[in-house]
Amino acid sequence: MSHQHDDEIEALLRKQFDGSVANEGFSERVMQRLPPRRRRMAWPMWTGVVAGTGACWLSLLSTQLLHVGWRDWMGGELSPPAITLLLVIAGMSLLASCWGVTEADDR
Amino acid sequence: MADSAAEARIDQSLVARVLLGNDRRAFEQLVRRYQGMVRAQLRRLLHGDEAAADDLAQEAFLLAWRKLDQFRGEAKFSTWLYRIAYSCFLQACRKRPWSVGDADEEEVEQLPEPSHAVNLQLDFERAMRQLSAAEQTVLLHCVQLGLSHEEAAFVLAMPLGTVKTHATRGKAKLKAWLAVWNETATEERTS
Repeated sequence: MSHQHDDEIEALLRKQFDGSVANEGFSERVMQRLPPRRRRMAWPMWTGVVAGTGACWLSLLSTQLLHVGWRDWMGGELSPPAITLLLVIAGMSLLASCWGVTEADDR
Repeated sequence: MADSAAEARIDQSLVARVLLGNDRRAFEQLVRRYQGMVRAQLRRLLHGDEAAADDLAQEAFLLAWRKLDQFRGEAKFSTWLYRIAYSCFLQACRKRPWSVGDADEEEVEQLPEPSHAVNLQLDFERAMRQLSAAEQTVLLHCVQLGLSHEEAAFVLAMPLGTVKTHATRGKAKLKAWLAVWNETATEERTS
């Protein structure tokens, strides 16, 4: 009974609603008023990326761990600094992949 | 369901064409697809003031054009547009309060009984106007525009529970009113 009444109320509400309005030049009026689209500037982001990478590189340049890790890695020796370096690179790659997948999902 | 997924894909590709290629014709297609329902939504919210509703609809589409890069596809494009239109409506109400003539939130627990059962549709329209503004708005979005409770909560920026409560209360009041109307109509027919 209650469900039937619900249906009846919903039917009355739908009947009372006039539905979609005919265009009658509305879209054309909107299009005439559209301002030119401003392109989002890419340079602030790339400046940030370059500055961040540079700052990171400068701060790591003086650390012994990076030098030793790089030397051992190139020499094929899996020393703790080389493993640390590899783990950091793997972690950064994983983060970048996760970010990429999330962005792709949003689109 | 499949139709709605296909519609969503069309919207997404039109949005991508606007964002990546600055394609105004793609945006025009989006306007053509949704202007009818957005204008219908605003006409109901403004109680039939067609000119004001069209002005607000135009404002909503211009805002959508400017903010299109903020559309991330988490909601349907139509739902996102309804939300923009509803926020334009709220802003307009702050500037120029419409004489909505509806009941206060808690004032009317039951709708007034119909004195004469003349025409169900006309009487129902009057009964609708006696509901609180929130109940009318929720019923408009959930029943008349066909949104789910979740989508209506997104459009109206209301908690989901509040949307469900308003929908249930509004329907309950209309149900009680309809029962009385049916009785009155039967009595008038027999007498």
